Amino acid sequence: MTPRLFLQIVSLEARTKFSYRVDFWINTVVGFSVELFVAWFLWKAVFEASGAELIGGRTFPQMVVYVIAAVLLGKFAIGRDFEGTISGDIYEGGLNRYLLFPANYVGVKYAQQLGRMVPLVVQVLLFGAFVVPLLGVAGEFKLSFGSVAMAMVALAVSNLLNFLMVFPLQATAFWADNVWSLMVAQRIVGSILGGFLLPLSVFPDAMRTTLEYLPWRFFYDFPARVMLGEIGFAEWLPGMALALGWCVVFRFLGRAVWNRGLYQYSGVGI
Amino acid sequence: MIEVEKLSKTFTVHKKAPGLVGSLKSLFVREKIEKQAVKGVDLQVGEGEILGLVGANGAGKTTLVKMLAGIIHPSAGSARVLGFTPWERRNEFRRRIALVMGQKAQLWWDLPAADSFLLLKEIYRVPDDQFEESLNELVDMLGARDQLNIQLRRLSLGERMKMELIATLLHRPRVVFLDYPTIGLDLTAQRAIRDFILAYREKHKPAMILTSHYMEDIERLCERIVIIREGEFVYDGALSQVKHAYATQKVIVAHLARENGRCEVSEAILEDGAILDEEAQTLRYEVPREQVAEAAARVLAECRIHDLAIEEMDIGTVIERIFQERGEVRA
Repeated sequence: MTPRLFLQIVSLEARTKFSYRVDFWINTVVGFSVELFVAWFLWKAVFEASGAELIGGRTFPQMVVYVIAAVLLGKFAIGRDFEGTISGDIYEGGLNRYLLFPANYVGVKYAQQLGRMVPLVVQVLLFGAFVVPLLGVAGEFKLSFGSVAMAMVALAVSNLLNFLMVFPLQATAFWADNVWSLMVAQRIVGSILGGFLLPLSVFPDAMRTTLEYLPWRFFYDFPARVMLGEIGFAEWLPGMALALGWCVVFRFLGRAVWNRGLYQYSGVGI
Repeated sequence: MIEVEKLSKTFTVHKKAPGLVGSLKSLFVREKIEKQAVKGVDLQVGEGEILGLVGANGAGKTTLVKMLAGIIHPSAGSARVLGFTPWERRNEFRRRIALVMGQKAQLWWDLPAADSFLLLKEIYRVPDDQFEESLNELVDMLGARDQLNIQLRRLSLGERMKMELIATLLHRPRVVFLDYPTIGLDLTAQRAIRDFILAYREKHKPAMILTSHYMEDIERLCERIVIIREGEFVYDGALSQVKHAYATQKVIVAHLARENGRCEVSEAILEDGAILDEEAQTLRYEVPREQVAEAAARVLAECRIHDLAIEEMDIGTVIERIFQERGEVRA
């Protein structure tokens, strides 16, 4: 796939998503608010009930900052409206079109996934600019150029990792009629083990050590802590190597599942 | 351009008993059934030829097209399209074929077709000058310039099909599969699409395989047809020869004088053949080809007839009968 084609698909998908104006605003206001305010109330209750000053090494304002960073940055890692697209292509027959195109399906879907995230960038910036001052934690954000740059790279790798991880799961639609429950399970497991609402620092040491080698932490905990300056370059570099290693593992797995599934694909829908 | 040898496709489908009990049972045990959709068929299609693939629903037409377009793998047999094995899906192969899916939109629903065309230009790596030339040619042939910049979902079905055709042919494929290209369209739109396909064939000479349930599509576009029944070819030859091979009857159309009693006429006719259609003052009935003169003379002698015509059976009826009967392949 040429870079020009890749960018054109990104642009086309972005324009498609921007054409849904109502969806854009509902997602910006309601979608983000629910996740953030649930986390805020949850941690407020936990701190008040426990009476502790520090939980997992964080004060309440630091915990709020972590949650804001994890929720907002996690959006970039997880992507948007992507989970059902590949499985949908398989069992509704949309795949037929892509099999006719002289272009790599994985590349096309990845570009589409990135294109769908363009409105997300605008949403995160809009929402972040509003909610950080509202929650009174603006002073807790101590960002540096280095941490932001490393977080950007981490997010790019996390996004790729999520795509490659979800791909073989969605490709099971070649055999299963509906893989929605599998995707929900993956999302829930990823949220818990990746540090979505609970930073990994609150887990017991042995479990935390294990989780640090698993892929899910790269979706929430890792980019959030890099952005907040809690992870420096010395820890960031092996983290990125590990994430890229997982990318390779899931790419091989995805290719194996895909090739096998395609062999028995029946081209439904036409 | 297309060569097929002993191509077969068998699907495995799951069977589920109806009702809640059947659904619960299927959670634990599912019965598998093997369905042979295409059974060892042979086929050749040359440059500039439009081959009509005709058969009832589920006969195996679309399955054959999906194999030749490289969408699905066959269970057995071989096929070469432009020298490539379709299901290997080489990019050089995919740049030279096209599939129009009348039952499935291929363009992006929320965008104007012009945006999709630009993307297809990149996907198929069409050079700028060829893209402009192709687009202008196709748009002019289909009279679709005014719809280019309108969101696809706001176009009528006929307008959308025109856009689908443009999208499919922009890269000037050498082999085109047309799967129900006129399905659901009104008569004017159907005619426009047929005229376009003929004009396109005249100019670019691709090999085309057309599947359609509309006999007018077949009659207007195809000189040669393949009739497929339960996955097997039962006829492969000239459209004009189908009637000679299968139509053993002719149709007499009798326009009755007003004072004629229907029973009296029917009795005269029933001695010779079977009534096909009965409207006010008009009867259509079929008789064996060799008895047609005798039957016409009888109805003229025994009934008061205002007008009489002797017609060949229409191709649709002939093919419909072929679908229903069992027999050897003829050509």
